[in-house]
Amino acid sequence: MFSSHRHDDLKEMLDSNKDSLKLEAMKRIVAMIARGKNASDLFPAVVKNVACKNIEVKKLVYVYLVRYAEEQQDLALLSISTFQRGLKDPNQLIRASALRVLSSIRVTIIVPIMMLAIKEAASDMSPYVRKTAAHAIPKLYSLDPEQKDQLIEVIEKLLADKTTLVAGSVVMAFEEVCPERIDLIHKNYRKLCNLLIDVEEWGQVVIINMLTRYARTQFLNPNINEGGSGDKTFYGSDEDEDEDEEEKEKKPYVMDPDHRLLLRNTKPLLQSRNAAVVMAVAQLYFHLAPKAEVGVIAKALVRLLRSHSEVQYVVLQNVATMSIKRRGMFEPYLKSFYIRSTDPTQIKVLKLEVLTNLANETNISTILREFQTYIKSMDKDFVAATIQAIGRCATNISEVRDTCLNGLVQLLSNRDELVVAESVVVIKKLLQMQPEKHSDIIKHMAKLTDNIQVPMARASILWLIGEYCEHVPKIAPDVLRKMAKSFTNEEDIVKLQIINLAAKLYLTNSKQTKLLTQYVLNLAKYDQNYDIRDRARFIRQLIVPTEKSGALSKYAKKLFLALKPAPVLESPFKDRDHFQLGSLSHLLNAKAGGYQELPDWPEAAPDPSVRNVEVKESVRAVGTVTHRDTGALWGPQRMEGSESCSFPRAVPQRGVFLQTIAPSSALKSYELLHRITGEGLSVEYCFSRQPFSPDANMVAVQMQFTNSASSDTKNLHIEDVKLQSGMRVKEFPEIELLPAGETATAVMGIDFCDSTQAANFQLCTHTRKFFVSIQPPVGELMRPVFLTENEFKKEQGQLMGMNEITEKLTLDVKCRNEHAIVQRVTTAANLSRVPCGSDKECRFAGRTVTSGSLVLVTVATKEEGAAQLTVNCEKMVIGTMLVKDILQALTQ
Amino acid sequence: MISQVFILSSKGDHLIYKDFRGGAGNDIVSIFYEKVTALTGDQPPVVMNHKDIYFVHIRQGGLYWVATTTAGSSPFTITEFLNRLAALVKDYCGSLSEKSVQMNFALIYELLDEIVDYGYIQTTSSDVLKNFIQTEAVTSRPFSLFDLSNVGLFGAETQQSKVAPSSAATRPIQSSREQGGKSEIFVDVIERMTVVIGSNGLLMKADVEGEIRVKCYMPSCSEMRIGLNEEFSIGKSQLRGYGAAVRVDECSFHQAVRLDEFDSHRILRLCPSQGEQTVMQYQLSDDLPSALPFRLFPTIERDNGGRLLMYMKLRCDLPPKSAAINVCATIPVPKGSVSLSQELSSPDQSAELKPQSRAVVWKIARFAGGTQLSALFKLEVPSLSSASMLEVGPVGLSFELPKITATGLQIRFLRLSPIQPGPSQRWVRYVTHSDSYTIRI
Repeated sequence: MFSSHRHDDLKEMLDSNKDSLKLEAMKRIVAMIARGKNASDLFPAVVKNVACKNIEVKKLVYVYLVRYAEEQQDLALLSISTFQRGLKDPNQLIRASALRVLSSIRVTIIVPIMMLAIKEAASDMSPYVRKTAAHAIPKLYSLDPEQKDQLIEVIEKLLADKTTLVAGSVVMAFEEVCPERIDLIHKNYRKLCNLLIDVEEWGQVVIINMLTRYARTQFLNPNINEGGSGDKTFYGSDEDEDEDEEEKEKKPYVMDPDHRLLLRNTKPLLQSRNAAVVMAVAQLYFHLAPKAEVGVIAKALVRLLRSHSEVQYVVLQNVATMSIKRRGMFEPYLKSFYIRSTDPTQIKVLKLEVLTNLANETNISTILREFQTYIKSMDKDFVAATIQAIGRCATNISEVRDTCLNGLVQLLSNRDELVVAESVVVIKKLLQMQPEKHSDIIKHMAKLTDNIQVPMARASILWLIGEYCEHVPKIAPDVLRKMAKSFTNEEDIVKLQIINLAAKLYLTNSKQTKLLTQYVLNLAKYDQNYDIRDRARFIRQLIVPTEKSGALSKYAKKLFLALKPAPVLESPFKDRDHFQLGSLSHLLNAKAGGYQELPDWPEAAPDPSVRNVEVKESVRAVGTVTHRDTGALWGPQRMEGSESCSFPRAVPQRGVFLQTIAPSSALKSYELLHRITGEGLSVEYCFSRQPFSPDANMVAVQMQFTNSASSDTKNLHIEDVKLQSGMRVKEFPEIELLPAGETATAVMGIDFCDSTQAANFQLCTHTRKFFVSIQPPVGELMRPVFLTENEFKKEQGQLMGMNEITEKLTLDVKCRNEHAIVQRVTTAANLSRVPCGSDKECRFAGRTVTSGSLVLVTVATKEEGAAQLTVNCEKMVIGTMLVKDILQALTQ
Repeated sequence: MISQVFILSSKGDHLIYKDFRGGAGNDIVSIFYEKVTALTGDQPPVVMNHKDIYFVHIRQGGLYWVATTTAGSSPFTITEFLNRLAALVKDYCGSLSEKSVQMNFALIYELLDEIVDYGYIQTTSSDVLKNFIQTEAVTSRPFSLFDLSNVGLFGAETQQSKVAPSSAATRPIQSSREQGGKSEIFVDVIERMTVVIGSNGLLMKADVEGEIRVKCYMPSCSEMRIGLNEEFSIGKSQLRGYGAAVRVDECSFHQAVRLDEFDSHRILRLCPSQGEQTVMQYQLSDDLPSALPFRLFPTIERDNGGRLLMYMKLRCDLPPKSAAINVCATIPVPKGSVSLSQELSSPDQSAELKPQSRAVVWKIARFAGGTQLSALFKLEVPSLSSASMLEVGPVGLSFELPKITATGLQIRFLRLSPIQPGPSQRWVRYVTHSDSYTIRI
């Protein structure tokens, strides 16, 4: 009653004709909501103003309406017609805003109206309205889950949308409503990959996370041939693993071009200024990329360390996990993890963790020097963590164990008790590994019992003396004597260790300590703590032989002085990577509600053709500057990549490629064996321009065998490889059977050593041998690299003089636009386009496959088809040949 | 996705509370505040949970910015979102404080409404948002003598008016639309130094992080060109000319920056959106072009009376015309130090013993370049041992160097095109802060 009168002034203001009064009233009401006060009794007065012309008032009314509609369902219905009118408004902003508020009103009765509105908005002209429709989907779903099937239809429709504005929002809806319907993504996969870079940043995060999951279900593990991961990486050298082992049985892994597409299109996003995007890409690479490529994310993550401390904290958590698995990745950035005096404690501790993970034989001395200065810090928790870190370095790297131990022993004379205590605990762990060498340290620690008061440290010292009493036979009884004296004043953990010490001494040196032990046990018998009483009783039974004591006392010595395994000091981040990186669950190291586990790689890849979309040819013809909306699939703005993705994929199945594969027009194929000389067997090959995954230094050569004879060909394989020195060949697995009239494909790798020398070998069938040879065009000896304009210029600046070859030319008539130039150059050589500010220049970059030398190509066009071609390459022979090839391609 | 967003003052008052998904209890805010205050330590964990609700929070402007989520969203997304939200509120309200948030709750509500829909982040770009935001920001202008001093005798302009007051850049971006008057642009070059000097006086590590920040109040600024030093170079290999090159190791740009004139003329082209944005960030490690700003020459000994004597000589190596301000040296001293007596070389310094942090704090308000200050600290330490001598150091220095960049980066010019109608003002400011400047003893 009282409350209804309380707001009378507000009601009056709301009923007035003046907008200014209404606005003032609404502001006060919203202020109440903001402070969490109840303003629901004003609902009737407020809802009248929903049709108010003043947009400022209107928006505040919306805020109110959304907040209280659920409580006042009947009254809320009064406002619905206003929104329905709004949905038809010619202004897209008003349509969108009406839909947004309508869908936020949680009243079940309007579900059909909402459904209709969403469906209509999903085919609205304005992408902004369609985006709002996508946002409305999860709202309706949570209000009425029965609508799921209809909503999925809308999602399917919106997924096909080609605008960047909608893409992010609809994937959010997809993730909330039907994440299990992965089949809806197939047809849109390539489009999403290509649009990704232009999507608004929050949408990028959602799409990348969804695509990570998608890729995990659709592609094969790129590291499948690496064998058991984990174990090897302990020694850090994960990049240079020898590739020879996987000869037997293992099928060569060929990365699905769509998989490659995803990796390639997400990579530039590592430059994003949004930390969430960077992390999303980083986790994508960590979970999806071949080991050798994961390194690229390190730099981007290190860059995030310059951000707000909250972001730093989250990044470091993830880096800590990654640095265990892929240590090599972060080693170059060791210095970035040095601790600054201004860091908050938790960041310091995380950085320590990373530094410890990165420590190895080569950098340990630097790290230890750094640690030494940390010990002087005033932050006690941090000092304790540093001492533990030193302990962990010492256990992991045996070379420095003695140095660390000495350092820690020096700390024992520190005036700070915490430091001493922590050092004692760590020293105890270290000594356990090789006690026999360090009896003097044990002696030193025995002396410390007079001074150290921290219970944990005292307990540790006593335990050590007891455990290694044979190494200090003279001192141990004396320590026990002192401890017996102070027994009653000790903390419980110390008392327990005194009893243990007594028991151990009794067993080894009963002559000197019999009475002392009895005394200690008697004291313990009447202790207040029942644990201690229990322990005393138990030990007395065990060690003091009486007629009643059982068989156990014979084994007392074995029980107490058994060899104990040394503790393993390991990182708390060791097994965190079973949570998806960057997720909340990973941060908490516990499964958070709604966490979706990252699926395991499939054993065999599902059918990749589901991602094919029919529009291929028509779009390829579109010019270079088309708007993104048309770039349905082979969006020309991502020209660099489209060449290799358009190549039909090959799926390895038991070593034989059963699918018929016609090399795409973009790739030139060469004859290896003619049908007539091959007696019915003809072989063609092309350079597939895909990375040859078993060995990154090899050029992938895709061969297509056609058996046009009337009988089957068996056991197709390679023999007697004749090569110039340095060259290597990785043969394709034997094709057991090629039935008459059939075709098969296989991929082999050749390391041409960056030369155009031919690789000669024999192609053998079960009956015959043919001498064949493969000679690569110079353009195939390289692989594309992605440089920015700046990097390109920088690199070019370093490859001047002898390394630069310039040639003037007149362009072929058909080849005077940018698109044609790009196409011809990329056909002639496996290079990628470098973005360029001026439209008079086309730049390309690549690296030679074997040595990784940069190859930079610039085509600068002038009037009337005149042009200048510049090639910069450290390898002059390659440069000269490349100039010739490209010249021919452009002038033809 | 985000369930709720709320902003709390440092005392736990509810400033803003918005529930996007419904269903959460009202006491959620107080639960958070209890949790966050119950913890000790200098920074509570970024993520905390209560049953199945997860709180992610950041602290900015003395406020807690909190988002709750119930399930599986990336903590990165949420922290980044909160940071952006704080930046947007700062842009729209002018400054970030309890007061400004309180006065502008309607505006912040409107912002939140546009930024987040049903817990999904829609956009945080101020260019997109300015189309939707209707509410005007309310600002409180603190009384400032500076404003008065701008107007000289008889209203004539004084020298002062050629310098913008430091508060000039803290006003809301929206008001410029209606007031029509002042269209201004502020460019800040801010660098932060991290330096470690070894006990032998050798430089062990030097690291500069810098950024160029633009705050734009132009309602319609089509293009802006920022010219940097011509000899500016990136990376190790390039050396241009013979002069002292301005070099950085690494450089990244805001996505709106176009770099087509950067390679040849070191010009950044951009169309700034209203509000604040970081246009360029750069880093330089280990290889500073100029001398370090400060050198410390300490002598530490025990006198016969068992006191600890610390004789500190601090030299400022800046060019003579410039000066460092707010210099503060923190010298850790042995545990149990009881009292301090001091002899300082000039009256504008002060020093005091902080027993809690076990340090002597030596403050110098203004420190001119090329000069040297010294101080003698006598500490009464009962039970002074040789081991406790080791507890002295390392010395941490914090300071501000106005009008100086450690890398030498300068802005040559700032051009707006097309030429703005009416008066437009452009301000450029340089400052170098200490991030962590440590001198080991």
